[in-house]
Amino acid sequence: MADSPLLRPFRYARDYLKEISGENAYDRYLEVHVATHPGKPAMSRGEFYRWRQDDKYNNPGSRCP
Amino acid sequence: MNNGLRRYGIWVVVALVGAVCWGMLALARGETINAGWLLFAALASYAIAYRFYARFIRDRVLGADDSRATPGERLNNGRDFEPMDRRVLFGHHFAAIAGAGPLVGPVLAAQMGFLPGTIWIIVGVILAGAVQDMTTLFFSMRRDGKSLGQMAREEIGPVGGAAALIAVLSIMVILLAVLALVVVNALAASPWGSFSLAMTIPIAVLMGIYLRFLRPGRVLEVTIIGVALLILAIIGGGWISESSPYAAAWTFTPNQLTLALIVYGFVASVLPVWVLLAPRDYLSTFMKIGTIALLAIGIAITLPPMHMPRFTEFAFNGQGPVFAGSLFPFVFIIIACGALSGFHSLVASGTTPKLIQKESQVRPIGYGAMLAESFVAVMAMIAATTLDPGVYFAMNANPALLGDSLQSASQAVNSFGFSVTPETLQATANAVGEDSIVGRTGGAPTLAVGISAIFSGVTGIFGAALQAFWYHFAIMFEALFILTTVDAGTRVGRFMIQDLVGNVWRPFARTSWLPGNLIASALIVAGWGYFLWAGVNDPLGGINQLFPLFGIANQLLAAVALTVGTTILIKMGKLRYAWVTALPLAWDAAVTLTASWQKIFSTDPAIGFFAQRAAAQQSIQAGKLNDTMAALGAASVDDARQILVNTTVDGVLSILFAVMIIIVIVDAARVWLGIISGGKEPEMSEAPWQESHLDSEGHEIGREPVGAGR
Repeated sequence: MADSPLLRPFRYARDYLKEISGENAYDRYLEVHVATHPGKPAMSRGEFYRWRQDDKYNNPGSRCP
Repeated sequence: MNNGLRRYGIWVVVALVGAVCWGMLALARGETINAGWLLFAALASYAIAYRFYARFIRDRVLGADDSRATPGERLNNGRDFEPMDRRVLFGHHFAAIAGAGPLVGPVLAAQMGFLPGTIWIIVGVILAGAVQDMTTLFFSMRRDGKSLGQMAREEIGPVGGAAALIAVLSIMVILLAVLALVVVNALAASPWGSFSLAMTIPIAVLMGIYLRFLRPGRVLEVTIIGVALLILAIIGGGWISESSPYAAAWTFTPNQLTLALIVYGFVASVLPVWVLLAPRDYLSTFMKIGTIALLAIGIAITLPPMHMPRFTEFAFNGQGPVFAGSLFPFVFIIIACGALSGFHSLVASGTTPKLIQKESQVRPIGYGAMLAESFVAVMAMIAATTLDPGVYFAMNANPALLGDSLQSASQAVNSFGFSVTPETLQATANAVGEDSIVGRTGGAPTLAVGISAIFSGVTGIFGAALQAFWYHFAIMFEALFILTTVDAGTRVGRFMIQDLVGNVWRPFARTSWLPGNLIASALIVAGWGYFLWAGVNDPLGGINQLFPLFGIANQLLAAVALTVGTTILIKMGKLRYAWVTALPLAWDAAVTLTASWQKIFSTDPAIGFFAQRAAAQQSIQAGKLNDTMAALGAASVDDARQILVNTTVDGVLSILFAVMIIIVIVDAARVWLGIISGGKEPEMSEAPWQESHLDSEGHEIGREPVGAGR
């Protein structure tokens, strides 16, 4: 039931939205952090997203009208 | 043979479909033409361009090399450098490039008929706009995500670099003013619209608190909550305007809205981003993509007929009441986003190149996302041209020409050669829940009427047309992301000023330093606030005057990007293929310089700023309006004074823009000639080649999928 082909498009959409909205970003950060800085404490979820948001808008890219 | 047929047979079919659709657009008889022909002509053209031309550019011209590691792979830090899945990056890049521009420009250009704008949108994107985005993205990627300004400085020289920087800052100011003006025109005297949009502020703050403190990173949840509240705000707006005692309290004049926007822009730029800017960004991004998707579905279901003729006489006589000037060059100036937009070169250099996974993916992301934006522009053109042309002109003509009543507006429309009765105008206004739709310039209201007609055509199938709701939904959607651009643009401008002044005086560059923050924010808000105020009070219609200036500025930036691209191609030893960027550059320069020339030197006071200025000066000296001023729509000598100031500022800016383009191109031509004549060794600042260890899905070759990608 859970992996019924009928549900596949919905699962794809959900994964895509999670990915594009940045909900997965923390998990990804953890993976990279553990791989590159083993033993060092990582940021908590709250710290990570606060840092990420501030960082994004402190180095603003331009956008089209 | 059999193999070739299998490979190319489908493309023969696509080409035939495209050719038939274009043929119908150009030749079909009858009062109206179905929008479906336009839809499929566009899609078939995009498909062929993407399959053949974009692939040619990727393989032959740029020489994308998938064995070469991208900056996202080499410098991966899980933050700004990261190899991102191409589908996700496409979404991010598209959200960053698609704004109000592709929605507004085509609506204004529709005054010349649907064909000139449509041809430019489709041919322009294939040969110019998407090429610019893709090449800029590629060259920035090869330089670890350097910005357009940095590339101009390094590849052309300090003069070209400085010109690029000035171009960016001045465009930002004009752009913010024009967009804010669109919002003012959409909300003036509309309690429904004003209330709904004002409610987005508390909604954004609520979302901001939720994301910051309650559930960090749960963007989807908070966006669902935000969108639900937004719908409630639109329904609430209907109640405010129709059955509450507060309608008068929510009815604002254009000047009140201008002041509110200026204060808002300043506050939003100074506040920490999590309060307003970031949550509003999520909300407007989802609204934008959602509404665009709904519009595509709506058009595909209803397949509305287009009532605007192919060409109107305004295409040739330059006397259009929406903006003055003839087809060449002004269609190519007014429609920037959607066909060729210099602004994209700022997005394509900087953030996106640091996230690319494989070099060859510049095709879906650079070329593909721009095709998608072009498609948005096509849909805007469809929405505008499905309106009754009489209604279209009554909404978009310079308000000074339309007069104060429905009768005068109807007469004015008749004098343009179209017809609409006062009753039709009133009925249209009633249907969308507004008191009046006459003189609602700026494109957004027209588009909203068009969108509401399409959406209510769909929901009408289920027995509930809801046109007034859909109209305000569309207004909200446009105003929301225009305000996001105003917030974000003010912030970008603020950082640029802090950076510039910081070169002279260090502390100013520290973005966390409050006095620097306040002063730089005030400067940038004062800049666009001035143009906004001048536009709102312009006796000749602010959109009419300012939009061409914005278009010229945007195409100036495109000229910078295409010049950088051509320079790099020549330096790479690809002189043979330099036409790929040099031809669009030549076209862009011809268009922009012709438009600048006309804006500066034309003796027709409807077009030339200085001809207008002379007429205004004459009126002031004589103490009464002369015929020229009166014909343009000025009502008093005070109007003439205002026109004198506006035309002086606009005229000087036009000269500045034209000079910038010439400087950049001449400076680059010097570099080109030096290399072609063999006198100079080309110096390139590409990052050195390193081998890639990722496959095209972002998995590390020979290992389990890790980290990057999906």
